[in-house]
Amino acid sequence: MSVAVSEPIAAIPRPALGRLGAATLLLLPIALVNVVGFILPVLNLLRMSFNEALSGGGIRETFTLANWFGLAGDAFYLELIINSVVVSLTITVLTLILSYPIALYLHRSSGRWRTFLTVLVISPLLTSAVVRTYGWIALLADQGPIVQAITSFGFAPPRLMFNTTGVVIGLVEILMPYMILSLLAGFGRLDPRVEEAAMTLGARPVRVFWRVVLPLTLPGIALGCLLCFVLAVSSFITPKLLGGGRVFLLATEIYDQAIVTLNWPLSATLSILVLVIFGAALAVYARILRAID
Amino acid sequence: METNPTSLPMKILVFLLFLFLLAPVILVVPISFSGEQILSFPPQSWSLRWYTALAGNSAIISAFWTSLLLGAIVTVLSLAAAIPAAYVIVRMRTMGSGFLYNLFTAPLLLPTIVLGLAILIVFASAGFLGSFWGLVIGHLVITLPYALRVLATTLGNLPLACEEAASTLGGRPLTVFRRVTLPMMAPGIVAATALCFLVSFDEVVITLFLTGPRLTTLPVELFHHVESRADPLVASVSVLLILLTLAVVMVVDRTVGLSKTFVK
Amino acid sequence: MMHQTILSGTPTALTSRDAHLRLDGLTKRYGDTEAVAALNLDVPKGELVALLGPSGCGKTTTLRMIAGLITPSGGRIVVGRSDITQMPVYRRDMGLVFQSYALFPHMTVARNVAFGLEMRGVSKPEIEQRVREALAMVRLEPLAERRPRELSGGQQQRVALARALVIRPSILLLDEPLSNLDAKLRDEMRNEIRDIQQNLGITAVFVTHDQVEALSMCDKVVVMKGGKLEQVGTPVDVYEHPATPFVASFVGRTNRLEAMGKGDGTAIAGGAVLRIPSRAQGPVEIMMRPHRVRLTDSDGASASGGEGTNRLDGRLSRVTFVGDLLQYHVDVSGTELVVEAASDHGRVFRAVGAPVSLMWRVEDTMVFGRTA
Repeated sequence: MSVAVSEPIAAIPRPALGRLGAATLLLLPIALVNVVGFILPVLNLLRMSFNEALSGGGIRETFTLANWFGLAGDAFYLELIINSVVVSLTITVLTLILSYPIALYLHRSSGRWRTFLTVLVISPLLTSAVVRTYGWIALLADQGPIVQAITSFGFAPPRLMFNTTGVVIGLVEILMPYMILSLLAGFGRLDPRVEEAAMTLGARPVRVFWRVVLPLTLPGIALGCLLCFVLAVSSFITPKLLGGGRVFLLATEIYDQAIVTLNWPLSATLSILVLVIFGAALAVYARILRAID
Repeated sequence: METNPTSLPMKILVFLLFLFLLAPVILVVPISFSGEQILSFPPQSWSLRWYTALAGNSAIISAFWTSLLLGAIVTVLSLAAAIPAAYVIVRMRTMGSGFLYNLFTAPLLLPTIVLGLAILIVFASAGFLGSFWGLVIGHLVITLPYALRVLATTLGNLPLACEEAASTLGGRPLTVFRRVTLPMMAPGIVAATALCFLVSFDEVVITLFLTGPRLTTLPVELFHHVESRADPLVASVSVLLILLTLAVVMVVDRTVGLSKTFVK
Repeated sequence: MMHQTILSGTPTALTSRDAHLRLDGLTKRYGDTEAVAALNLDVPKGELVALLGPSGCGKTTTLRMIAGLITPSGGRIVVGRSDITQMPVYRRDMGLVFQSYALFPHMTVARNVAFGLEMRGVSKPEIEQRVREALAMVRLEPLAERRPRELSGGQQQRVALARALVIRPSILLLDEPLSNLDAKLRDEMRNEIRDIQQNLGITAVFVTHDQVEALSMCDKVVVMKGGKLEQVGTPVDVYEHPATPFVASFVGRTNRLEAMGKGDGTAIAGGAVLRIPSRAQGPVEIMMRPHRVRLTDSDGASASGGEGTNRLDGRLSRVTFVGDLLQYHVDVSGTELVVEAASDHGRVFRAVGAPVSLMWRVEDTMVFGRTA
């Protein structure tokens, strides 16, 4: 079919007002939204992190690193940052462990069954995070079914909500679809014949998993972990609702500083910090990917 | 049928994991029929009282209409801006199409909490807070990249030869676009429509920053409700929302096939 | 005649009566490379001309420049008396048949064929009439309401042809139209396209990399290589009198021998003196077609050729049976030459290893100067 691949693609016939003019005109709406709703606000946010916050929500236009030094020197914020990263990493690992079997199972299934299961995986994504968190509030409540089940075995009733445990449980579930889809994308390299080949060579199933399946699926794992970590660090709805104001993470602090305390410079600084953590995660991901290949 | 290489323990494990994944969504259905005053599971008694309560809750109903209108307007504007943009980037590839594509989809890389704050600060000084059109712009910032991504992929997979054939047959550029390009993009347009609407209709974080006391959307209203009270009212709304989502998904599935749309 | 009705009535454009295509120094540059380099070509009205060459030779680029899908970097495209180099594609009035057919998947066969007429503002009843005629011409009337994806490759090909012809184009352009069909269908379509083209008397340019298509269908063959013309001529010309070694080896099969011309109509090759139809002196390349060479015993009486015959001795190294032909591979002092003979129930002339002679007529000897 590819006889003429070397032949270049034709130009689209030129419109009356000239190619460049037409292109500019057609791109104008999206560019406008991009500039007004994305570029200007983000640049302004960066600028805001160097302003000085006055008491009562006032802002003094200046160029100070006070916000940054303030973060570094405040034990509360240092703990908040470390806590955010640790919690996000925990969530990422748990999400991976719970998602991997589903992804592997999906990868090996076929036909309508596979389509049906894929829809089941995607369907939570189409449901509002507020709704799903609300479901978890019902499940994890002190009189909820899980706590009741645990106490019926004679254990002391655990607190599963309005603390870090609840936030972790809720976020793991919320992030699972992302992880499963990333893993599936990475499983493309996993040909069942490779596994069969390993088995015919005399490897036991467990060995096949560690020596063949896992290494081949590492790129998908790396991608899924990057995505989940990044989403966990910046997630807001679930920590806010399931944390009940008692779990302090970066995203909830950004919101509280912006809306409650009205300290925009500080909340801008925390936002930039989130982006820095994103960058660091991306760098780690790139290194891991290079190490795998 | 090929034999599945999965053992029974693995099947049970996968079943339990699916249960975990779907539990909160499934749970809201029985809760919505609760007869209790407060949120509890399983409920001690059953009733339709929370659906009745919902019908009488003017705040939630007006938030729903706001969300619906907002979603519709945002979807229409997203398509109107993203279709020409996708055409320029994919078909008229001249100066830096790759760069433009990355720039216009970049907002998806930012966490919504950061994007929301950034927009809040700019809009506050422009007096845009709590205004409907401020919300429209805020939503467009994230729906446009989704629309562009879906439409550019669709267009990129279409054979250029059909459009060339139309032009050799005498079709002027605009006619070729209307009669050939656009109809061939239909599956992508349906997918983009559904995606934009669902994203806008479900958006909470950015919206939280931009809504005011007189203007609120359904997810934001639900967020505030869950934050302040624990009663089954939200469950009844959730069931209706899930049904709405299901309807949208089924429309998309009927027209273009679900797996093609969301699993890329 | 059914075919004639397509061109009946008043021609839509002046060009369809005066459809003489001329390319004048046509050039296309991409950066530093010239995809098409200063091409000059005349296609008289009513002729079917093949652009033949390997992929990347610039034949498709040339066709797309004629159609208006690529803007030339230099030169002119003239149809009749009008220079159309700068004319936008949608005003050119050319029918282009794509390699992939490029049928509109969202339209029925009839709507596909009607598209070009709608663009020209033809009245509804006339569109209906002409679409019916065009579909009748390619024998697809019963399938008018089908979608392209419901048709076979050959049927899609015919829809594409009908769609290109229904607008009564000044020139018909065909871009590798047969390359996606299987072998049997390809033979059929070859004849069908040729018949339709001749019945309509339409000027046509046919791009192909298949020498059989070019030789069997076309009035004139244009062999291209590296964006330049190698040779323009009738199929017989190009086959029997190739202008360059490239043409000789691309069009048909050839044997190749390195020789030393003596300047007196002879050359030395493989230790023997060969008569050549050339007074070339110095290193030359000698070529001959495998089926023009005869195989004889090297010692028998028949081995002595006459005045007009060349002879080389060698050893039979391999025999390949390819159905209708037997290919004898002969080793002539290190060079392998091939002789083709009609296969007679697979009976082999001599066992492998036997000494044999190759004989062919002097006039079947092609001589080229060796430059490289």
